[in-house]
Amino acid sequence: MFSEKHHFWLEFVWAMTVKEIKARYKHAILGFLWIILNPLLQMLVIGFVFQFFLPVQVDNYFLFLFSGLLPWIFFSFTLSKCTPAIVYERSLIKKARFPREAIILSIVFSNVFHLLVSLALLLVVLLFVGEVSLLQLALLPVAILWITLLASGLSLLATALNARFRDVNFFVQAVVPLWFYATPIVYTLDLIPHNLHALFYLNPMTAVIEAFRFALLGLPITQLPFWFVSIVVSLVLCVFGWLVFQRESQYFDDWV
Amino acid sequence: MKKKQIAIELKHITKRYVLHHEKPTFSEQLVRRGKREEFIALNDISLTIYKGESVGIIGPNGAGKTTLLKIIAGITTPTLGLVSVHGRVVSLIDLEAGFNPELTGEENIYLNGLVIGMRRKEIERVFKKIVAFADIGTFIDAPLYTYSQGMKLRLGFSVAVHADPDILILDEGMAVGDEEFRKKSGKRIKQFFKEGKTILIATHWLEYLRKNCTKLLNLQEGSIKNFLQIASHRTVQ
Repeated sequence: MFSEKHHFWLEFVWAMTVKEIKARYKHAILGFLWIILNPLLQMLVIGFVFQFFLPVQVDNYFLFLFSGLLPWIFFSFTLSKCTPAIVYERSLIKKARFPREAIILSIVFSNVFHLLVSLALLLVVLLFVGEVSLLQLALLPVAILWITLLASGLSLLATALNARFRDVNFFVQAVVPLWFYATPIVYTLDLIPHNLHALFYLNPMTAVIEAFRFALLGLPITQLPFWFVSIVVSLVLCVFGWLVFQRESQYFDDWV
Repeated sequence: MKKKQIAIELKHITKRYVLHHEKPTFSEQLVRRGKREEFIALNDISLTIYKGESVGIIGPNGAGKTTLLKIIAGITTPTLGLVSVHGRVVSLIDLEAGFNPELTGEENIYLNGLVIGMRRKEIERVFKKIVAFADIGTFIDAPLYTYSQGMKLRLGFSVAVHADPDILILDEGMAVGDEEFRKKSGKRIKQFFKEGKTILIATHWLEYLRKNCTKLLNLQEGSIKNFLQIASHRTVQ
């Protein structure tokens, strides 16, 4: 069942992931502190500004914001970094035959590592300021798995297409900031007219962010039945991304 | 005589490239759909190379030498045809590729080794030999951006030759640093010839091929002009 080939694949992806984590903060004085400094800075600025003109009904707007920003930062960083990755790593591509998806998955997994570290820190804070329900927290691994699959699928798709059409990178750069506003991160879905909810759930990140907030803060899910839409969209993107990548990866050398 | 084992078998290999004059943008792609300009790098190549053969590949620039080597190394996939390669292929063409400037020499040896298909255990086993052969001394735990050009090439060469390749791919343009290391690496490559490894080498240096190779493949405009046994073949001293 578990052949030599799979072993090598796992070993390879693992080694690439470790490399990715090590290389990123190697010569930064604050090093791994950046994992938490980045979302913290965003939370402070956005939180300070938005609390004045958004009628969000939550107990602690900063915690609300932070629990949404962590998964969002994971998602947007991963997608933005993965999209040009195949083009950037052309010297690796031209060197030898190896599982090309390792380049992308190593970026995804290194970001998962960062997400886990910052979630752990958030949980420590939550233990001090409020109650954490173990029952709800059981959903957290599911939410992490979900966002990982979604980010992997989209990243594989975007990077494979970007090898052929460099426009894809520009497109992703343009879309990611807009996507931030289309996802209920700084606001809650109740503020949106009900008849538009279905549209919001077409964006799978809506449900993912809700899943994180439910698990961490116990916040209610606005429209649980619509999660089905988000789940289907996520799965389709994931499978489609993988298939496109597998087809295109044979010819990366011709395009980079 | 022992039955000859096949190392590389190519059946009706054709490789077409899309010519990009300017960068291929999405809108351009939509407008000019169906009438893309193509370039045929390899045209219906069938070829069998047996274990232990050393094949020199000659032909003018643009004859398809590099494309053929890339297909055998699995770096790219042919448009048509079947490729079967038995054993580990290691290419000595782009020695510096696959290094990360931020990581140390040691970390890069592991990364590079995995990229060319070694298992972690294997790398651990030959790690000391790799360092000794590359002769980078105390730089082993320094980040790679502090290395000189020659050191990087030496490290790349050292990892590749310690990968225990079954099939070795060489290119004449291979530069390996200073005179001393050139001699050392030349000697190591000659040893591969002696060990009877399957070797493919693309070069214009006919004299070298006559002396070292058992077969000569002549490519012209993407087709095989001839594929000959070298009569006067003798092993190098």
